[in-house]
Amino acid sequence: MRDEPIISWKVAGIMLGLLLTLATFLVKPLGVSTQFVVTDAMVAHQVAPEFAEENAYLAKYGEQSDWGVGYGWMLVFGMLVGGGLTAALFRDRQPMLDQGSMPSMWVKQFGASRLKRFATAFAGGVLLLFGARLAGGCTSGHMISGISQLAVGSFIFGVTTFAVAIGTAKFLYRRRSA
Amino acid sequence: MNTLLIGFLIGCAFGAILFLGGASSYRKILGTLLLRDMTIIKLMLTAIGVGTLGVYLLDLGGLANMSIKPAYVWGIVAGGAIFGVGWAISGYCPGTCVVGTSEGKLDAVFTLAGALVGAFLFSLVYPVMDAWLLQNANLGKITIVDVIGIEGVYLAIPFSLMLLALAFFVLKDGYGTES
Repeated sequence: MRDEPIISWKVAGIMLGLLLTLATFLVKPLGVSTQFVVTDAMVAHQVAPEFAEENAYLAKYGEQSDWGVGYGWMLVFGMLVGGGLTAALFRDRQPMLDQGSMPSMWVKQFGASRLKRFATAFAGGVLLLFGARLAGGCTSGHMISGISQLAVGSFIFGVTTFAVAIGTAKFLYRRRSA
Repeated sequence: MNTLLIGFLIGCAFGAILFLGGASSYRKILGTLLLRDMTIIKLMLTAIGVGTLGVYLLDLGGLANMSIKPAYVWGIVAGGAIFGVGWAISGYCPGTCVVGTSEGKLDAVFTLAGALVGAFLFSLVYPVMDAWLLQNANLGKITIVDVIGIEGVYLAIPFSLMLLALAFFVLKDGYGTES
């Protein structure tokens, strides 16, 4: 059975590097995590405009304070569309192990409770964006784009993130004593 | 061409590459973090290797619209550590949870929802964080090129070749496999 991704890491990596180069030439490098703040800011501005204006961070990232959609937000929206279309087209070529909402690796270690998986995924999401905003970027903005520009802060982010993530993963998947 | 349309098209390609390359797979991400399956780290090293070369070749012609993030050391270390825990427990990063959501994976949808909440929580504590972690030990928007002070491309070429060699020839699967 096919267990490997549809395209190899070589092809995917080269395409991603070229895409980053193209983006840097046309507009600016790739980044994702800022757009979660932009989305929050857009919602907050609709629901509670005064709160949104007074919150220094939301006001700062209301996509240049006009509370609208910009290049970065369209990029993340594009990921949703491009990812979704490709997934629909190539669904039958995706390894079975990578399909569905309950990864088999997780089930083997933590059981088949959907509540447990989804609660952990939610908590993980909270930590991801809290951390990304504190650090000023995520895997795309800091690691891929930042290190490609040889930015000092992005090297610090890459090393710290990988060290902690590897430690956490090793702890989660430590061998359970029977 | 319109900047919004460019953003959308680049995003479409980005999402497609992440899906096709298996970056939205929990198995592949955890495989890399457990050092058993190096697919994703090799993908990232290749992307950065090609990207560094591309960006600094553009820069040579003055054509790179760079965007350097400030190096405020403590904020990045603290944020990176929190991010690392979130990455390992969800199996997604902010970009791949968007792609996972587009595939209809419910765990990715929950990660995406959590991410929106996490960004909101950060906006509430931003003034405190700004004073504590973002203003202190801030080295500014610096690159290794600034530190060493030579033409960027001379640094980019060897760095890029090193990453590509690491991905293509050095890294092997199965470091973390016991027994």
